Amino acid sequence: MSTPTDPKVLLATLYDDNHRWLRAWLYRQLKCPQDAADLTQDTFIRILDARQLNQLDEPRAFLSTVARRLLFSFWRRKRLEQTYLDSLAQLPDAYTPSEEDLALVREALESIDRLLNGLPPRVRQIFMLNRLEGLSQPVIAQQLKVSLATVERDLRRAFLHCLAESADLT
Amino acid sequence: MSQPKVDATTRAAVDWLLRLEAAAEDPSVRQAFETWLRANPQHAIAWQRVGSLLQQPIADLQRVEARSPGQLRAVTQALAAPDSESRRKVLRGSLALVLFGISGAAIFDRAQPLNGLWADRHTATGERKTFELADGSRLSLNARSSVDIHFTDTRRLVRLREGQVFVDVAADPRRPFVIATAQGEVQALGTQFMVRQEATGSLTSVQLHSVQVTTSGGSQRRVEAGEAAWFSDSDVRPVPLSVRTRADWRDGRVDIRDEPLGLLIDALRPYRRGVLRVSEQASKVRIYGVYPLDDPEQTLASLAQTFPLRISHYGPWLTLIDVR
Repeated sequence: MSTPTDPKVLLATLYDDNHRWLRAWLYRQLKCPQDAADLTQDTFIRILDARQLNQLDEPRAFLSTVARRLLFSFWRRKRLEQTYLDSLAQLPDAYTPSEEDLALVREALESIDRLLNGLPPRVRQIFMLNRLEGLSQPVIAQQLKVSLATVERDLRRAFLHCLAESADLT
Repeated sequence: MSQPKVDATTRAAVDWLLRLEAAAEDPSVRQAFETWLRANPQHAIAWQRVGSLLQQPIADLQRVEARSPGQLRAVTQALAAPDSESRRKVLRGSLALVLFGISGAAIFDRAQPLNGLWADRHTATGERKTFELADGSRLSLNARSSVDIHFTDTRRLVRLREGQVFVDVAADPRRPFVIATAQGEVQALGTQFMVRQEATGSLTSVQLHSVQVTTSGGSQRRVEAGEAAWFSDSDVRPVPLSVRTRADWRDGRVDIRDEPLGLLIDALRPYRRGVLRVSEQASKVRIYGVYPLDDPEQTLASLAQTFPLRISHYGPWLTLIDVR
Protein backbone atom coordinates (compact mmCIF):
# COMPACT_ATOMS: atom_id res chain seq x y z
CA MET A 1 0.00 0.00 0.00
CA SER A 2 3.07 2.25 -0.17
CA THR A 3 2.39 4.18 -3.38
CA PRO A 4 5.20 6.71 -3.49
CA THR A 5 4.16 10.29 -4.20
CA ASP A 6 7.50 12.04 -4.04
CA PRO A 7 8.07 13.13 -7.67
CA LYS A 8 11.78 12.33 -7.42
CA VAL A 9 11.04 8.75 -6.38
CA LEU A 10 8.37 8.44 -9.09
CA LEU A 11 10.75 9.67 -11.74
CA ALA A 12 13.53 7.35 -10.54
CA THR A 13 11.18 4.37 -10.72
CA LEU A 14 9.92 5.41 -14.15
CA TYR A 15 13.51 5.77 -15.33
CA ASP A 16 14.68 2.44 -13.93
CA ASP A 17 11.72 0.57 -15.39
CA ASN A 18 11.73 2.16 -18.82
CA HIS A 19 14.93 3.85 -19.93
CA ARG A 20 16.37 0.74 -21.63
CA TRP A 21 13.13 0.14 -23.41
CA LEU A 22 12.91 3.79 -24.52
CA ARG A 23 16.50 3.81 -25.74
CA ALA A 24 15.86 0.67 -27.80
CA TRP A 25 12.67 2.23 -29.20
CA LEU A 26 14.56 5.41 -30.15
CA TYR A 27 17.43 3.39 -31.57
CA ARG A 28 15.01 1.69 -33.97
CA GLN A 29 13.94 5.14 -35.21
CA LEU A 30 17.36 6.75 -35.32
CA LYS A 31 19.80 3.89 -36.07
CA CYS A 32 22.40 5.75 -34.06
CA PRO A 33 23.22 4.69 -30.49
CA GLN A 34 24.60 8.11 -29.54
CA ASP A 35 21.51 10.04 -30.72
CA ALA A 36 19.23 7.43 -29.14
CA ALA A 37 20.99 7.83 -25.78
CA ASP A 38 20.80 11.64 -26.01
CA LEU A 39 17.11 11.67 -26.86
CA THR A 40 16.38 9.19 -24.06
CA GLN A 41 17.91 11.62 -21.58
CA ASP A 42 16.07 14.53 -23.19
CA THR A 43 12.77 12.69 -22.85
CA PHE A 44 13.22 12.18 -19.13
CA ILE A 45 14.37 15.76 -18.65
CA ARG A 46 11.27 16.91 -20.52
CA ILE A 47 8.93 15.11 -18.11
CA LEU A 48 10.65 16.34 -14.94
CA ASP A 49 7.88 18.86 -14.44
CA ALA A 50 5.01 16.67 -15.53
CA ARG A 51 2.42 16.77 -12.77
CA GLN A 52 0.59 13.58 -13.58
CA LEU A 53 3.53 11.21 -12.98
CA ASN A 54 1.71 9.39 -10.17
CA GLN A 55 -1.34 8.71 -12.31
CA LEU A 56 0.36 7.12 -15.29
CA ASP A 57 -1.59 4.08 -16.44
CA GLU A 58 0.49 3.58 -19.53
CA PRO A 59 3.96 4.96 -18.75
CA ARG A 60 5.41 3.68 -22.01
CA ALA A 61 2.68 5.28 -24.12
CA PHE A 62 3.33 8.53 -22.27
CA LEU A 63 7.10 8.27 -22.75
CA SER A 64 6.84 7.46 -26.43
CA THR A 65 4.48 10.41 -26.99
CA VAL A 66 7.01 12.77 -25.46
CA ALA A 67 9.87 11.06 -27.30
CA ARG A 68 8.03 11.25 -30.62
CA ARG A 69 7.69 15.01 -30.25
CA LEU A 70 11.42 15.28 -29.53
CA LEU A 71 12.20 13.02 -32.49
CA PHE A 72 10.23 15.25 -34.79
CA SER A 73 12.16 18.37 -33.88
CA PHE A 74 15.40 16.41 -33.89
CA TRP A 75 14.79 15.34 -37.48
CA ARG A 76 13.76 18.81 -38.46
CA ARG A 77 17.01 20.20 -37.04
CA LYS A 78 19.04 17.51 -38.79
CA ARG A 79 17.40 18.24 -42.14
CA LEU A 80 17.93 21.96 -41.72
CA GLU A 81 21.58 21.45 -40.86
CA GLN A 82 22.05 19.04 -43.74
CA THR A 83 20.49 21.49 -46.21
CA TYR A 84 22.81 24.18 -44.91
CA LEU A 85 25.89 21.94 -45.23
CA ASP A 86 24.84 20.92 -48.75
CA SER A 87 24.35 24.55 -49.74
CA LEU A 88 27.76 25.33 -48.33
CA ALA A 89 29.29 22.53 -50.39
CA GLN A 90 27.63 23.95 -53.52
CA LEU A 91 29.22 27.36 -53.07
CA PRO A 92 32.61 27.11 -54.79
CA ASP A 93 34.48 29.44 -52.48
CA ALA A 94 32.65 29.02 -49.20
CA TYR A 95 34.52 27.75 -46.18
CA THR A 96 33.37 25.12 -43.72
CA PRO A 97 33.40 26.67 -40.28
CA SER A 98 35.16 25.25 -37.25
CA GLU A 99 33.22 22.90 -34.93
CA GLU A 100 32.73 25.76 -32.51
CA ASP A 101 31.35 28.09 -35.19
CA LEU A 102 29.23 25.26 -36.55
CA ALA A 103 27.54 25.05 -33.15
CA LEU A 104 26.71 28.76 -33.38
CA VAL A 105 25.35 28.33 -36.91
CA ARG A 106 23.25 25.35 -35.81
CA GLU A 107 21.74 27.30 -32.97
CA ALA A 108 21.08 30.37 -35.13
CA LEU A 109 19.53 28.22 -37.87
CA GLU A 110 17.16 26.64 -35.38
CA SER A 111 16.03 29.85 -33.77
CA ILE A 112 15.45 31.58 -37.11
CA ASP A 113 13.69 28.52 -38.50
CA ARG A 114 11.43 28.39 -35.46
CA LEU A 115 10.29 31.96 -36.07
CA LEU A 116 9.89 31.53 -39.83
CA ASN A 117 7.99 28.26 -39.41
CA GLY A 118 4.84 28.30 -41.53
CA LEU A 119 5.91 30.98 -44.00
CA PRO A 120 6.15 30.11 -47.70
CA PRO A 121 9.63 29.71 -49.22
CA ARG A 122 9.68 32.98 -51.16
CA VAL A 123 8.70 35.01 -48.11
CA ARG A 124 11.42 33.29 -46.08
CA GLN A 125 13.96 33.91 -48.80
CA ILE A 126 13.12 37.60 -49.20
CA PHE A 127 13.22 38.10 -45.45
CA MET A 128 16.63 36.42 -45.14
CA LEU A 129 18.12 38.32 -48.09
CA ASN A 130 17.03 41.57 -46.47
CA ARG A 131 17.75 40.85 -42.80
CA LEU A 132 20.70 38.48 -42.96
CA GLU A 133 22.50 39.48 -46.15
CA GLY A 134 21.53 43.14 -45.91
CA LEU A 135 20.24 43.49 -49.48
CA SER A 136 17.96 46.46 -50.19
CA GLN A 137 14.41 45.98 -51.37
CA PRO A 138 15.12 47.05 -55.00
CA VAL A 139 18.13 44.70 -55.22
CA ILE A 140 16.03 41.79 -53.96
CA ALA A 141 13.26 42.62 -56.45
CA GLN A 142 15.81 42.60 -59.26
CA GLN A 143 17.46 39.36 -58.16
CA LEU A 144 14.25 37.41 -57.71
CA LYS A 145 12.56 39.06 -60.69
CA VAL A 146 9.53 40.12 -58.68
CA SER A 147 8.01 43.57 -58.22
CA LEU A 148 9.13 45.94 -55.50
CA ALA A 149 5.59 45.82 -54.09
CA THR A 150 5.89 42.03 -53.72
CA VAL A 151 9.17 42.38 -51.85
CA GLU A 152 7.65 44.93 -49.51
CA ARG A 153 4.52 42.87 -48.94
CA ASP A 154 6.52 39.70 -48.24
CA LEU A 155 8.85 41.54 -45.86
CA ARG A 156 5.92 42.96 -43.94
CA ARG A 157 4.30 39.56 -43.75
CA ALA A 158 7.50 37.95 -42.48
CA PHE A 159 8.00 40.66 -39.87
CA LEU A 160 4.47 40.34 -38.55
CA HIS A 161 4.69 36.56 -38.53
CA CYS A 162 7.99 36.57 -36.61
CA LEU A 163 6.74 39.18 -34.15
CA ALA A 164 3.63 37.11 -33.47
CA GLU A 165 5.72 33.94 -33.06
CA SER A 166 8.23 35.59 -30.75
CA ALA A 167 5.38 36.93 -28.62
CA ASP A 168 4.16 33.33 -28.29
CA LEU A 169 7.55 32.14 -27.12
CA THR A 170 7.94 34.68 -24.36
CA MET B 1 -3.56 33.75 -39.25
CA SER B 2 -1.02 34.92 -36.72
CA GLN B 3 -1.00 38.50 -37.92
CA PRO B 4 -3.88 39.83 -35.86
CA LYS B 5 -1.81 38.99 -32.75
CA VAL B 6 0.48 41.91 -33.56
CA ASP B 7 -0.82 45.18 -32.17
CA ALA B 8 -1.29 48.32 -34.25
CA THR B 9 1.73 50.15 -32.80
CA THR B 10 4.07 47.27 -33.64
CA ARG B 11 2.58 47.13 -37.13
CA ALA B 12 3.27 50.84 -37.50
CA ALA B 13 6.89 50.25 -36.43
CA VAL B 14 7.24 47.58 -39.14
CA ASP B 15 5.83 50.02 -41.69
CA TRP B 16 8.38 52.62 -40.61
CA LEU B 17 11.27 50.21 -40.86
CA LEU B 18 10.32 49.27 -44.42
CA ARG B 19 9.70 52.86 -45.39
CA LEU B 20 12.96 54.14 -43.91
CA GLU B 21 14.95 51.45 -45.63
CA ALA B 22 13.48 52.52 -48.94
CA ALA B 23 13.64 56.29 -48.43
CA ALA B 24 16.02 57.16 -45.60
CA GLU B 25 17.57 59.96 -47.61
CA ASP B 26 14.28 61.75 -47.92
CA PRO B 27 14.33 64.32 -45.09
CA SER B 28 10.54 64.55 -44.94
CA VAL B 29 10.26 60.79 -44.34
CA ARG B 30 12.89 60.98 -41.61
CA GLN B 31 11.23 63.93 -39.98
CA ALA B 32 7.87 62.20 -40.04
CA PHE B 33 9.49 59.10 -38.54
CA GLU B 34 11.12 61.02 -35.72
CA THR B 35 7.86 62.77 -34.96
CA TRP B 36 6.16 59.39 -34.75
CA LEU B 37 8.96 57.93 -32.60
CA ARG B 38 8.71 60.76 -30.07
CA ALA B 39 4.93 60.98 -30.06
CA ASN B 40 4.46 58.17 -27.55
CA PRO B 41 6.83 56.05 -25.40
CA GLN B 42 5.02 52.97 -26.68
CA HIS B 43 6.27 53.83 -30.18
CA ALA B 44 9.91 53.65 -29.06
CA ILE B 45 9.25 50.31 -27.34
CA ALA B 46 7.62 48.90 -30.47
CA TRP B 47 10.47 50.22 -32.63
CA GLN B 48 13.00 48.56 -30.33
CA ARG B 49 11.08 45.31 -30.48
CA VAL B 50 10.96 45.28 -34.29
CA GLY B 51 14.63 46.26 -34.58
CA SER B 52 15.83 43.58 -32.18
CA LEU B 53 13.96 40.78 -33.92
CA LEU B 54 16.41 37.90 -34.53
CA GLN B 55 19.28 40.20 -33.62
CA GLN B 56 21.20 37.55 -31.67
CA PRO B 57 21.17 34.70 -34.21
CA ILE B 58 21.92 37.12 -37.05
CA ALA B 59 24.84 38.65 -35.15
CA ASP B 60 26.19 35.13 -34.45
CA LEU B 61 25.93 34.18 -38.11
CA GLN B 62 27.69 37.35 -39.19
CA ARG B 63 30.54 36.64 -36.79
CA VAL B 64 30.93 33.18 -38.26
CA GLU B 65 30.69 34.65 -41.79
CA ALA B 66 33.62 36.93 -41.04
CA ARG B 67 35.75 33.91 -40.15
CA SER B 68 34.46 31.52 -42.81
CA PRO B 69 32.80 33.33 -45.73
CA GLY B 70 29.80 31.68 -47.37
CA GLN B 71 27.72 31.01 -44.27
CA LEU B 72 25.08 33.67 -44.87
CA ARG B 73 24.39 32.43 -48.37
CA ALA B 74 24.17 28.80 -47.24
CA VAL B 75 21.95 29.68 -44.30
CA THR B 76 19.61 31.70 -46.52
CA GLN B 77 19.39 28.77 -48.90
CA ALA B 78 18.74 26.29 -46.13
CA LEU B 79 16.05 28.43 -44.54
CA ALA B 80 14.41 29.27 -47.85
CA ALA B 81 14.25 25.63 -48.94
CA PRO B 82 10.50 24.93 -49.03
CA ASP B 83 9.40 23.21 -45.82
CA SER B 84 11.01 20.38 -43.96
CA GLU B 85 9.26 17.74 -46.07
CA SER B 86 10.34 19.16 -49.39
CA ARG B 87 13.72 19.82 -47.85
CA ARG B 88 14.06 16.13 -47.37
CA LYS B 89 13.07 15.56 -51.00
CA VAL B 90 15.64 18.11 -52.10
CA LEU B 91 18.26 16.15 -50.25
CA ARG B 92 17.33 12.84 -51.77
CA GLY B 93 18.84 12.24 -55.20
CA SER B 94 21.69 14.19 -56.68
CA LEU B 95 19.58 15.60 -59.53
CA ALA B 96 17.50 17.50 -57.01
CA LEU B 97 20.68 18.77 -55.42
CA VAL B 98 21.97 20.01 -58.76
CA LEU B 99 18.69 21.82 -59.39
CA PHE B 100 18.84 23.36 -55.96
CA GLY B 101 22.36 24.58 -56.68
CA ILE B 102 21.25 26.20 -59.93
CA SER B 103 18.31 27.98 -58.37
CA GLY B 104 20.73 29.28 -55.73
CA ALA B 105 23.02 30.58 -58.45
CA ALA B 106 20.19 32.12 -60.45
CA ILE B 107 19.30 34.57 -57.73
CA PHE B 108 22.89 35.59 -57.52
CA ASP B 109 23.61 39.23 -58.25
CA ARG B 110 26.68 39.94 -60.33
CA ALA B 111 27.21 43.38 -58.95
CA GLN B 112 27.45 43.47 -55.15
CA PRO B 113 28.66 42.02 -52.73
CA LEU B 114 27.86 38.34 -52.98
CA ASN B 115 29.76 37.73 -56.17
CA GLY B 116 32.73 37.38 -53.86
CA LEU B 117 31.63 33.81 -53.23
CA TRP B 118 32.39 32.96 -56.83
CA ALA B 119 35.75 34.65 -56.91
CA ASP B 120 39.11 33.03 -56.32
CA ARG B 121 39.96 35.19 -53.33
CA HIS B 122 37.64 37.37 -51.34
CA THR B 123 37.15 39.13 -48.05
CA ALA B 124 33.99 39.55 -46.02
CA THR B 125 32.70 42.68 -44.32
CA GLY B 126 35.29 43.98 -41.86
CA GLU B 127 37.99 41.61 -43.04
CA ARG B 128 41.38 42.22 -44.71
CA LYS B 129 43.66 39.56 -46.13
CA THR B 130 47.08 39.36 -47.74
CA PHE B 131 47.85 36.43 -50.05
CA GLU B 132 51.10 35.26 -51.52
CA LEU B 133 50.53 34.28 -55.15
CA ALA B 134 52.22 31.44 -57.01
CA ASP B 135 54.87 33.80 -58.45
CA GLY B 136 55.75 35.27 -55.04
CA SER B 137 53.75 38.49 -55.52
CA ARG B 138 51.80 39.67 -52.51
CA LEU B 139 48.18 40.67 -52.91
CA SER B 140 46.28 42.53 -50.17
CA LEU B 141 42.50 42.76 -50.28
CA ASN B 142 40.57 45.42 -48.42
CA ALA B 143 37.28 44.44 -46.75
CA ARG B 144 34.45 43.32 -49.06
CA SER B 145 36.74 42.79 -52.04
CA SER B 146 37.20 39.91 -54.44
CA VAL B 147 39.55 38.91 -57.25
CA ASP B 148 39.95 36.08 -59.75
CA ILE B 149 43.47 34.94 -60.51
CA HIS B 150 44.49 33.71 -63.98
CA PHE B 151 48.19 33.03 -64.40
CA THR B 152 49.39 31.69 -67.78
CA ASP B 153 52.81 31.30 -69.43
CA THR B 154 52.54 34.74 -70.99
CA ARG B 155 50.65 36.86 -68.47
CA ARG B 156 49.75 37.16 -64.79
CA LEU B 157 46.20 38.45 -64.69
CA VAL B 158 44.25 39.38 -61.56
CA ARG B 159 40.64 40.37 -62.23
CA LEU B 160 39.31 42.76 -59.57
CA ARG B 161 35.60 42.07 -59.25
CA GLU B 162 34.86 44.43 -56.40
CA GLY B 163 36.59 46.43 -53.75
CA GLN B 164 40.20 47.41 -53.49
CA VAL B 165 43.47 45.60 -53.93
CA PHE B 166 47.11 46.48 -53.28
CA VAL B 167 49.81 44.47 -54.96
CA ASP B 168 53.53 44.08 -54.39
CA VAL B 169 54.67 42.47 -57.62
CA ALA B 170 57.46 39.91 -57.85
CA ALA B 171 59.68 40.55 -60.88
CA ASP B 172 59.13 38.27 -63.90
CA PRO B 173 60.17 39.94 -67.19
CA ARG B 174 58.55 37.21 -69.31
CA ARG B 175 55.09 37.57 -67.81
CA PRO B 176 53.60 41.04 -67.28
CA PHE B 177 51.45 41.49 -64.17
CA VAL B 178 48.04 43.01 -64.92
CA ILE B 179 45.06 43.96 -62.77
CA ALA B 180 41.85 44.14 -64.79
CA THR B 181 38.72 46.04 -63.69
CA ALA B 182 35.35 46.54 -65.35
CA GLN B 183 36.77 49.55 -67.20
CA GLY B 184 40.24 48.46 -68.28
CA GLU B 185 43.65 47.15 -67.26
CA VAL B 186 46.50 48.36 -65.10
CA GLN B 187 49.85 46.83 -66.01
CA ALA B 188 52.72 46.89 -63.54
CA LEU B 189 55.91 48.46 -64.85
CA GLY B 190 57.49 48.11 -61.44
CA THR B 191 56.27 46.93 -58.11
CA GLN B 192 53.75 48.48 -55.71
CA PHE B 193 50.37 49.86 -56.69
CA MET B 194 46.71 49.96 -55.68
CA VAL B 195 43.59 49.44 -57.78
CA ARG B 196 40.09 50.18 -56.67
CA GLN B 197 36.83 49.27 -58.38
CA GLU B 198 34.16 51.93 -57.84
CA ALA B 199 30.57 52.01 -59.01
CA THR B 200 31.19 54.06 -62.15
CA GLY B 201 34.90 53.72 -62.78
CA SER B 202 38.27 52.53 -61.49
CA LEU B 203 41.02 54.21 -59.57
CA THR B 204 44.70 53.38 -59.39
CA SER B 205 47.57 54.86 -57.39
CA VAL B 206 51.24 53.99 -57.51
CA GLN B 207 53.55 53.67 -54.52
CA LEU B 208 56.70 52.49 -56.31
CA HIS B 209 57.81 52.73 -59.98
CA SER B 210 54.91 53.09 -62.41
CA VAL B 211 51.93 51.43 -64.13
CA GLN B 212 50.41 51.63 -67.59
CA VAL B 213 46.60 52.06 -67.67
CA THR B 214 44.75 50.88 -70.79
CA THR B 215 40.99 51.40 -70.83
CA SER B 216 38.72 48.97 -72.64
CA GLY B 217 38.12 51.73 -75.21
CA GLY B 218 41.87 51.90 -75.90
CA SER B 219 42.94 55.08 -74.08
CA GLN B 220 46.32 54.83 -72.39
CA ARG B 221 48.25 56.68 -69.72
CA ARG B 222 51.35 56.04 -67.67
CA VAL B 223 51.00 56.73 -63.94
CA GLU B 224 54.17 57.34 -61.92
CA ALA B 225 54.96 56.76 -58.23
CA GLY B 226 53.12 59.22 -55.99
CA GLU B 227 50.41 59.79 -58.62
CA ALA B 228 46.88 58.53 -59.04
CA ALA B 229 44.52 58.18 -61.98
CA TRP B 230 40.82 57.55 -62.51
CA PHE B 231 39.57 55.71 -65.57
CA SER B 232 36.34 54.82 -67.30
CA ASP B 233 35.86 52.65 -70.42
CA SER B 234 36.95 55.51 -72.65
CA ASP B 235 38.94 57.94 -70.59
CA VAL B 236 41.87 57.99 -68.17
CA ARG B 237 42.88 61.13 -66.26
CA PRO B 238 45.10 62.07 -63.33
CA VAL B 239 43.43 62.79 -59.98
CA PRO B 240 44.88 64.32 -56.81
CA LEU B 241 45.87 61.98 -53.99
CA SER B 242 43.05 61.55 -51.49
CA VAL B 243 41.70 59.14 -48.94
CA ARG B 244 40.43 57.09 -51.90
CA THR B 245 43.87 56.66 -53.43
CA ARG B 246 45.86 55.95 -50.26
CA ALA B 247 46.44 52.41 -49.12
CA ASP B 248 46.49 52.91 -45.33
CA TRP B 249 43.69 50.39 -45.11
CA ARG B 250 46.39 47.73 -45.26
CA ASP B 251 47.34 48.82 -41.74
CA GLY B 252 43.72 48.98 -40.64
CA ARG B 253 43.36 52.74 -40.62
CA VAL B 254 42.19 55.58 -42.77
CA ASP B 255 44.19 58.77 -42.99
CA ILE B 256 41.95 61.67 -43.95
CA ARG B 257 43.38 65.16 -44.48
CA ASP B 258 40.84 67.93 -44.64
CA GLU B 259 38.57 65.90 -46.90
CA PRO B 260 34.78 65.53 -46.89
CA LEU B 261 33.13 63.16 -44.40
CA GLY B 262 31.46 61.31 -47.28
CA LEU B 263 34.85 59.86 -48.29
CA LEU B 264 35.58 58.66 -44.77
CA ILE B 265 32.16 57.04 -44.54
CA ASP B 266 32.76 55.28 -47.88
CA ALA B 267 35.99 53.88 -46.44
CA LEU B 268 34.11 52.60 -43.38
CA ARG B 269 31.23 50.97 -45.29
CA PRO B 270 33.05 47.71 -46.13
CA TYR B 271 33.74 47.32 -42.41
CA ARG B 272 30.19 47.58 -41.26
CA ARG B 273 26.85 45.91 -41.76
CA GLY B 274 23.54 47.68 -41.79
CA VAL B 275 22.53 50.79 -43.67
CA LEU B 276 24.61 53.93 -43.10
CA ARG B 277 23.07 57.08 -44.55
CA VAL B 278 24.78 60.44 -44.60
CA SER B 279 22.81 63.62 -45.31
CA GLU B 280 24.13 65.73 -48.15
CA GLN B 281 25.10 68.51 -45.76
CA ALA B 282 26.92 66.17 -43.39
CA SER B 283 28.82 64.46 -46.21
CA LYS B 284 30.47 67.82 -47.02
CA VAL B 285 31.81 68.43 -43.50
CA ARG B 286 35.63 68.57 -43.71
CA ILE B 287 37.38 65.93 -41.62
CA TYR B 288 40.96 65.66 -40.48
CA GLY B 289 42.55 62.77 -38.63
CA VAL B 290 43.54 59.12 -38.57
CA TYR B 291 40.73 56.67 -37.81
CA PRO B 292 40.77 52.92 -37.17
CA LEU B 293 38.77 50.82 -39.64
CA ASP B 294 38.27 47.80 -37.43
CA ASP B 295 35.89 49.45 -34.99
CA PRO B 296 33.58 51.57 -37.16
CA GLU B 297 31.11 52.18 -34.31
CA GLN B 298 33.87 53.69 -32.18
CA THR B 299 35.05 55.77 -35.13
CA LEU B 300 31.51 57.12 -35.66
CA ALA B 301 31.18 57.92 -31.97
CA SER B 302 34.46 59.85 -31.89
CA LEU B 303 33.49 61.75 -35.05
CA ALA B 304 30.31 62.90 -33.35
CA GLN B 305 32.39 64.21 -30.44
CA THR B 306 34.90 66.10 -32.56
CA PHE B 307 32.77 67.43 -35.42
CA PRO B 308 29.34 69.07 -35.53
CA LEU B 309 27.63 65.81 -36.43
CA ARG B 310 24.62 64.02 -35.06
CA ILE B 311 24.57 60.26 -35.33
CA SER B 312 21.26 58.48 -34.76
CA HIS B 313 21.03 54.71 -34.46
CA TYR B 314 17.69 53.13 -35.26
CA GLY B 315 18.41 49.61 -34.11
CA PRO B 316 21.37 47.73 -35.64
CA TRP B 317 20.14 48.16 -39.20
CA LEU B 318 19.96 51.82 -39.78
CA THR B 319 22.33 54.63 -38.80
CA LEU B 320 21.80 58.20 -39.95
CA ILE B 321 24.44 60.92 -39.90
CA ASP B 322 23.43 64.54 -40.09
CA VAL B 323 24.82 67.93 -39.09
CA ARG B 324 24.01 69.19 -35.59
